[in-house]
Amino acid sequence: MFVPHSELDLKKMFDELSINSLDDLFTHIPDALLLENGLDLPESISELESIDYFNDIAARNKSDLVCFAGGGHYDVYLPQTVKSLTMRPEFMTSYTPYQAEISQGILQVLFEFQSLVCDLTDMELANASLYDGATSIAEAISVAINKTKREGVTISSGLNPNSKEVINTLIDKNKFNLNYVELDNYLFPSDYDFDESQAAFVVSYPHYEGSCQDLTELVTKAKDKGIVTICYVDPSMLGVLTTPGQMGFDIIVAEGQSLGSPLSFGGPTVGWFATKKEFARLVPGRLIGESRDKDNNKSYVMTLRAREQDIRREKASSNICTNQTLNAIGSAIHLSWLGPEGLYDMGYHSIQKANYMKKSLIKNGYVIPNDDSSLREFLLEVKTNASEVINKMGDKGFLAGIYYDDKHVLVAVTEKRKKTEIDDYIEALQEIDNG
Amino acid sequence: MVSGGNASSLPLVGGKPEPTIKELSSPGRRASNFPKLDVPDVKINHESLKKEKARLPEVSEHDLVMHYSRLAHRNFAVDLGFYPLGSCTMKYNPRFADSIASDSRFANMHPSMPEEFTQGCLKVMYEIGNYLCEITGMDYASFQPPAGASGELTGLLIIKKYLEINKLTNKTEIIVPDSAHGTNPASARMAGFTVVEVETDDRGMVNIEKLKEIVNENTAGLMLTNPNTGGLFEEEILTISQIIHNAGGLLYYDGANLNAIVGTSRPGDMGFDIVHSNLHKTFATPHGGGGPGSGPVAVKEFLKEYLPGPIVENKDRKYNWYQPENSIGRMHGYHGNFLVTLRALVYMKLLGKEGLDTLGAYAVLNARYLSSKVSKIIPLAYDEPCMHEFVTSVKDLKKSHKIKAYDVGKALLDKGFHSPTIYFPLIVPEALMFEPTETQSKETLDDLADSLKSIISDLQQEDIVLEDYPKNLPVGRPNELIPAKFLTVNWGDFELLEITE
Repeated sequence: MFVPHSELDLKKMFDELSINSLDDLFTHIPDALLLENGLDLPESISELESIDYFNDIAARNKSDLVCFAGGGHYDVYLPQTVKSLTMRPEFMTSYTPYQAEISQGILQVLFEFQSLVCDLTDMELANASLYDGATSIAEAISVAINKTKREGVTISSGLNPNSKEVINTLIDKNKFNLNYVELDNYLFPSDYDFDESQAAFVVSYPHYEGSCQDLTELVTKAKDKGIVTICYVDPSMLGVLTTPGQMGFDIIVAEGQSLGSPLSFGGPTVGWFATKKEFARLVPGRLIGESRDKDNNKSYVMTLRAREQDIRREKASSNICTNQTLNAIGSAIHLSWLGPEGLYDMGYHSIQKANYMKKSLIKNGYVIPNDDSSLREFLLEVKTNASEVINKMGDKGFLAGIYYDDKHVLVAVTEKRKKTEIDDYIEALQEIDNG
Repeated sequence: MVSGGNASSLPLVGGKPEPTIKELSSPGRRASNFPKLDVPDVKINHESLKKEKARLPEVSEHDLVMHYSRLAHRNFAVDLGFYPLGSCTMKYNPRFADSIASDSRFANMHPSMPEEFTQGCLKVMYEIGNYLCEITGMDYASFQPPAGASGELTGLLIIKKYLEINKLTNKTEIIVPDSAHGTNPASARMAGFTVVEVETDDRGMVNIEKLKEIVNENTAGLMLTNPNTGGLFEEEILTISQIIHNAGGLLYYDGANLNAIVGTSRPGDMGFDIVHSNLHKTFATPHGGGGPGSGPVAVKEFLKEYLPGPIVENKDRKYNWYQPENSIGRMHGYHGNFLVTLRALVYMKLLGKEGLDTLGAYAVLNARYLSSKVSKIIPLAYDEPCMHEFVTSVKDLKKSHKIKAYDVGKALLDKGFHSPTIYFPLIVPEALMFEPTETQSKETLDDLADSLKSIISDLQQEDIVLEDYPKNLPVGRPNELIPAKFLTVNWGDFELLEITE
């Protein structure tokens, strides 16, 4: 399938090569390595049959739940315009823009993406994307280690637990100490004393539990000790939140799903990475720059290539090659669609709705341990068991949130949630969560 | 005849440069709209809330659509023409897979849902795991690695963990051919190994004698593609695997070139212990202008417990997550690039046994045919039967006419083709590497050869300026020094520069 050759084509091609069959192409491969009867796989099915086949699989997903889960991936409204433009085949089916003259489209969108990320976070230099939020944190830690040549990393415990696992995989524990600092009442302790042996201070903004705090003073304290400060930021909240750049961070990384990508069962989404110019030569991944051709036409091209694996090989700043370009394009188009007013509405509506939900829950006898410090996302203390609550709420048509521990569900309220959905959620919760 | 080459003319739209979205911005415009707030609008005091709005462009929806559509028109793509791009497998991406991957019952699934809610997603990963293991001759797979380089790192971390658990920590050296992709040594270093290069022999294959000299008690493993980056099948692969295994090392298969052997031969049968596959190459998922990809890793049974977890199992007709006992840990925040994985499964289902059994053979046929045509124009780097790709060298043209591989690639752009891969593998001077894939027609391959012949002839004319090529595209060669020197990587922080020669 998808092979264009007719019998006549094959005959002409075989003649050119003086062969009689496809098998004749492989006479140089040792017999022991040739598959005698081919692969043990099911027969081909037509496109029409495949529709039924994948319908059956899709139907096994509980895909119609009203989503109150977050943790980095949010059920925000993704406009059709963004989806249609991102899926344009000129973007979707193109290769990495190494040949700049025929890739000005991708290059310019990526340049715009980098610029939009910088403007949104108040940073100076963003790359053209990394895999996802979790791997971006690990890449940022590597930059800090390369910059400072130090061996410790101070990490806030208020990170997505999966992100912590990725950090633990990607940062060599035999060489570097990962020091996780527990949150105090859901906030990073403001009196924390940083140690000069540390390469990086990594903190999530907001924290995984949804609490949010001004980190300016902590950043200043860490930087005074020569520590590289890394902020893992929820970018879709930056319409309303003080930016990481304003708080003084050296590096920001983000899970960019909520700007331009559907939830996608976690992937493909996009990792954002932005920093200050002084880190330019340590940045992982691709960078696009504006240039001129010989006739002085504005043109874009990949730049600072000497950092990358195909040139520096084992000395490269990262091994990343294929990244998440299409999702970065989605982020750029979504941000342009939103504009300052749209991003503000998105953030403002979500915190108003989350606030309404928290107050309603409290009114109905529930405890929200981080009510004061949380915004769009918060912990809900359940009366029975969190895992059971999530399962039972599924039967009621809700994705209640993310299991946090046996007593707590992490609940996120996006701008998409309606008041009626929130009211119905609380009603359903009271029915199934009887302690 | 209309096909990817001469007759297609130039698919890209030139004209005036497109302004940036920021330059198109005008205060007060907006494309977005949201429902009215349906909960009481109350005063919320929080120290993190800011007073000003974000610095973002303000554009109407029509302006937005025109802008990004015009940019799309300035971009080459598989849907527009032929990428004879060695080692990248730029084959046709079936449209049908788009529709399945866009189905909200997959696309809108939250990654943190309990497994009872996500049986469809888990079934996708289980099924494609079976396909992939059969195709590669492996036993278990993890779909966490989001791209090939991540798959490589996964493989190396598996080797490292395996050596740790088996108390073989003296083994610190990873052998990589001098022809390998840059990601191989970069990944090996990231995993904490020392990289030892093994030479390629005159035929373009791993030099067995040199390999024997390098291998010792510290050898942790070997990273290899087969066919190798020269497009040649490593005929001594069984000897190679014996040498590495006898030294207690493991064999890692870089799946960059898997397309050549699908249905013909399997890495698992060659002695490889770990395989990564690039679903965005071999299994036809769109490359997205540089990503997303998907780089699942499959292993032999004895390495199952080291895979990045969790992986999907099927018990009592229910799919569930299983955490391997000695797992290297997570390589991705969630389940890898799931929708890419799904697209690849769609492709595999459509091809089925018939299509997959002959996949590699047709890819090789096209490459062998194109190499027969191209070798009459520029010499092959190795006089050996190629697999799915082949390497040529214009080192003689460089000597005689100062024509570099770079110039040939640029001139080819004018003919409506993407450039072949240039300067790779590094061991071939002035290399041009061609990979046609199985989805291009004979006419397109003929057109490419004809176009190549014509540009090689053009470039040898006395009055031409090599740097002028390409001539007929939206822009000429961008000056690559400007952005590196002035860090023009953001629209806000530099003034327009005049080029002074």
